[in-house]
Amino acid sequence: MASDVMIQAEGLTKRFGSVRALDKVSFQVRRGEVVGFLGPNGAGKSTTMRILTCFIAPTTGSATVRGHDVFDNPLEVRRSLGYLPQRAPLYQDMSVIDYLRFTAEVRGLDAGTFNRRLKKVVEVCGLAQTLGKDIGTLSHGYRQRVGLGQALIHDPPILILDEPTSDLDPNEKAEVLKYIKEIGKDRTILLSTHNLAEVEEACARAIIVSKGRVVADGPLDDIRARTGRVRYVVTIDEQRAEAGNKPPSAMAVQEALQRIDGTRSVSELPTDETAHKFEVSGPQDSDLRAEIFRLVVAKGWTLLELRREAQSLDAVFRDLTRREERLDRGYEGDGDDEESEQDADDEDSEKDSDDEDAEEDADDEDAEDGEDSDEEDSDEEDSDDQDESTGEEEPEKGKKG
Amino acid sequence: MSPMLIIAKREFRSYFDSPLAYVVICVSFLALGIMFFFFRGGFWQADRATVGPMLELYVPVGLGVLVVPVVTMRLMAEEKRSGTLEMLITLPVRDSDVVVGKYLGALGLVVTLVTVTLVYPLVMFHWPWNLGPLDMGPVWSGYLGLVLFSAACVAIGLLVSSLTDSQAVAFFITVFVLGGFVWFAGWLSDVIGGTTANVLSYLSFSTHLEGFARGLVDTRDIVFFLSVTGLALVVAFRALERRKWA
Repeated sequence: MASDVMIQAEGLTKRFGSVRALDKVSFQVRRGEVVGFLGPNGAGKSTTMRILTCFIAPTTGSATVRGHDVFDNPLEVRRSLGYLPQRAPLYQDMSVIDYLRFTAEVRGLDAGTFNRRLKKVVEVCGLAQTLGKDIGTLSHGYRQRVGLGQALIHDPPILILDEPTSDLDPNEKAEVLKYIKEIGKDRTILLSTHNLAEVEEACARAIIVSKGRVVADGPLDDIRARTGRVRYVVTIDEQRAEAGNKPPSAMAVQEALQRIDGTRSVSELPTDETAHKFEVSGPQDSDLRAEIFRLVVAKGWTLLELRREAQSLDAVFRDLTRREERLDRGYEGDGDDEESEQDADDEDSEKDSDDEDAEEDADDEDAEDGEDSDEEDSDEEDSDDQDESTGEEEPEKGKKG
Repeated sequence: MSPMLIIAKREFRSYFDSPLAYVVICVSFLALGIMFFFFRGGFWQADRATVGPMLELYVPVGLGVLVVPVVTMRLMAEEKRSGTLEMLITLPVRDSDVVVGKYLGALGLVVTLVTVTLVYPLVMFHWPWNLGPLDMGPVWSGYLGLVLFSAACVAIGLLVSSLTDSQAVAFFITVFVLGGFVWFAGWLSDVIGGTTANVLSYLSFSTHLEGFARGLVDTRDIVFFLSVTGLALVVAFRALERRKWA
């Protein structure tokens, strides 16, 4: 549905001298979507946004906003946008109300409309106390709010916000995100950030860019599933053990965990003196908890914690962007084909190991499936953990939906 | 109101939001007063009912090497440095609106300043004092010249400001360039001779102001100042557009 596409970028490439800031960036944002535009610093987020707002022109490629080409029709594009640049640069010596009035006048709002909109903007952005103050005297959080306010004053159908939460304290961050969620109910929003928690909070979809390319684009859950790994956190008591056994050393635990089938990597996490805490990563569609539990019982160790969680978006993000870094350094061939091949390889190897799991530990697999069925023989701790992990994930999913 | 005029209005007002406008106005008038009454014996020694030196020398030099650079240095440079330019340009305005709007805002302040110097001829020769029969013809034409001169100077200042993002650099380069046009070119053409001298003399702003101060409104002078203004604005516009490509 072409009419539904609010922002369309096709093959955007931008060079600054010899530096390629953007490399064939393509994506679409549809009506009503709140999209997180993610990437490490210098990945090309701001450059993309500046192209979309017609502040700079792409070297090659094209973009349309609401059907208007950014190159041929910049005024129309800007009319349908509200834009908050990075760090909300505002005229320091103007008062908030003067500034808002100025942007409204430039946008051609008459006094009556301005007053009506102002009321709404003040309410949404929480500016009532600051209207008469000079912008230069405001805290960064309030400046950010004023920036949001000027982006909203003409009631635009599309909002482009460049790191709206950078440099804010946690309270301000939470509030700005709250505003974004509130105004995102009936608007299309493209929101850039390098903070993943914010994306999880406010957006249903994310576009991840790294080194000027799009490395992932899709619903958050899909992106999270992309690297195809699950991590387990295992904590074992360092000072006591069951039934007269000796408490284990960290090395012993690590080696034992590594010997479990399907384990991809084991790394020690920092803890205090009383426990060994390890992170075990395994293939996505298997469950190693029963294995781990059995190991612990066999050795007579005291299990303090066992938890399975889908890989965090953080880790996916690091993974995706690191891969780009590797490409950049010439460890692998370049091009998207290579990347997808790599993915395919990953998946193959997962399946292989899964098959092995299935063959060797058919019983275990059953026990794991017991999560859903009525099989109750898995021990209490285990099922508790399952509850915990599902409990953690459920509300997030609810939000995204 | 068109976006251009709204930008001009904001620019003009912003001078008064900061101490800049007040400082510039106070210091300029203090300096002008000292020059007018004491420089080389000043007004009293000349013993004539004239404000010629003021229109021809004191005000142009003061404007060129001090007032205009101070007023124009921040126009673009400051906006580029603080990032507000991005905010301004991504409003639905044309680049030309931004350039001309800012130009008009700054010119507004300079012209206000120039207009206020009218107190000298009015207060001294009309009311409350009447120190002699001042011929108002050359005064009016002199002011016309000053306004055109200011237009050209402000355009050059804006151009310089749009080429850098440092106010200090913009200030010094503007002082240098305007100093060259207002004073140095004329001086050099007196020292050397030949064709170069003619070219320099033609480029010198003071050559083109002379006529106005004497009451002679010459189309060539008007065209000269307007062309300099236009040229500088077009180059400033290009300099602003350059951000898109580099």
